Amino acid sequence: MNELLLLGLADDELILGWRDSEWTGIAPMLEEDVAFSSIAQNEIGHARAVYELLADDADVLAFDRKPEEYRCAPLVELHLLDWGRTIARRCLYEVADEIRITALMEDDDARVAGLAAKINREEAYHRMHAEMWRERLADTPQFRSAVDELWRYALGVLPPKQREALAARLGREQVDAVERGTHDDAFAALHDEMTMVRRSAPAGAQW
Amino acid sequence: MAAVEISRDEQAFLEYVQGGGQVETSDWLPADYRAKLVKFIEMHGNSELMGVLPEREWILRAPTLQRKLALTAKVQDEVGHAQLIYRVVEDLGKSREQCLADLVSGKSKFHNVFHYPTRTWGDVGVIAWLVDAAAIISQKALLKCSYAPYARIMKKICWEESFHILHGRDVILAMVTGTPAQFELVQEALNRWWGPLMQFHGNPIPAEDDPMFLWRIKSQGNEEARQQFLDGYVPQILELGLTVPDPQLRKRDDGVWEYTEPDWAELKSVVTGHGPCTAQRLAFRAHFIDQEQWVRDAVLAA
Repeated sequence: MNELLLLGLADDELILGWRDSEWTGIAPMLEEDVAFSSIAQNEIGHARAVYELLADDADVLAFDRKPEEYRCAPLVELHLLDWGRTIARRCLYEVADEIRITALMEDDDARVAGLAAKINREEAYHRMHAEMWRERLADTPQFRSAVDELWRYALGVLPPKQREALAARLGREQVDAVERGTHDDAFAALHDEMTMVRRSAPAGAQW
Repeated sequence: MAAVEISRDEQAFLEYVQGGGQVETSDWLPADYRAKLVKFIEMHGNSELMGVLPEREWILRAPTLQRKLALTAKVQDEVGHAQLIYRVVEDLGKSREQCLADLVSGKSKFHNVFHYPTRTWGDVGVIAWLVDAAAIISQKALLKCSYAPYARIMKKICWEESFHILHGRDVILAMVTGTPAQFELVQEALNRWWGPLMQFHGNPIPAEDDPMFLWRIKSQGNEEARQQFLDGYVPQILELGLTVPDPQLRKRDDGVWEYTEPDWAELKSVVTGHGPCTAQRLAFRAHFIDQEQWVRDAVLAA
């Protein structure tokens, strides 16, 4: 079991779920409030399932690490409360995630392969949602410039050997990726916010 | 479907609904009835939508994955309710876009409890438990609404709201059985929310003088709803070791609750747009409506 890779995947899903849940109440249409909320719940559910492969207590992994210990890709950390960039991220992430999850479905470890297959079934709906939005916004400057801007971040979601597949799927040239392992200030702020209630009581307190 | 042919006479219509009759979108509706329906149902839709904002920021602060998922799902339900309710309003002739425009301009109203700040995780529990409990009492009474399309969606809404109450009670239970500081968060939140909760069902005007009751849009009076709330929840609050911040609160021998007169001036001021968070929340919602206008334009053009 490639624990570092799985931890990166789980952290991606966790943080993207956190970011997507921010649209609740303020999306461009009520239907999208509901859709983003559903997607966020799925992503966080996936993070939890992967954490449970890696540790006894998923909450401890999700909340009790220092910011620098998270392995999420910079793509998912970006604070993007505008719809063009949010949808561009969803579209790019879903394709990258599909490449990664499909590979994990062939993993030697049956638990990993089984979980990947389960996650893949739910992600199919996220891909349909992203594809629908890509079609609707494809001709808007907001979406096009956002895809250009986020492309090097999207490459950083995958390990180098899977990047060619991503570039081929999206018909783009590979560029220098924004790699995992560093975090921006927005992540520090998010981490502070997502742990503030939990940190307010001694470790082990029930919530 | 209406059980009898409704005459175009308003008096006959009134007698029909007062006798428990229900009407459909395609039936003839007196102009005053239609206007009252739109006003009432639109305010309900607005409240579901604005009710998202007090909890929204705490979705990011939920202290466990389970709480995060439950709170996200709960708030998602509220938006789903707004969507359903605005559809009923649309069938009555007012578009969702117009409802949202009137909401953010302050022309239409939303419930008093959604004008207040959410200060701690204790407030999150009190909102999900007691605000939703107060709301479900009003909503259950709408199952008998004379306007059948509204009554029908209320079944789904009540069913989902009853889950929210369980979620809220569970959040509260974990905290009152936790550390003294956690218990205190709940007590402080209860102290903050008690006033708005007691105002929630409105001032005790006799049901017969309430136009919403006259048309049987509502099927119970304000005081009846408040008594039901007190009867259902004061014993539960006390059972958890919490104190209700009203020294005059007591149940009389005849079963009626006595309490300190709620601050009706505060209620009036809050629902007319002068609550502590009214301006900020409407501005926040308006900001995103403006910012994302291009998205709706792009979708319509596609």
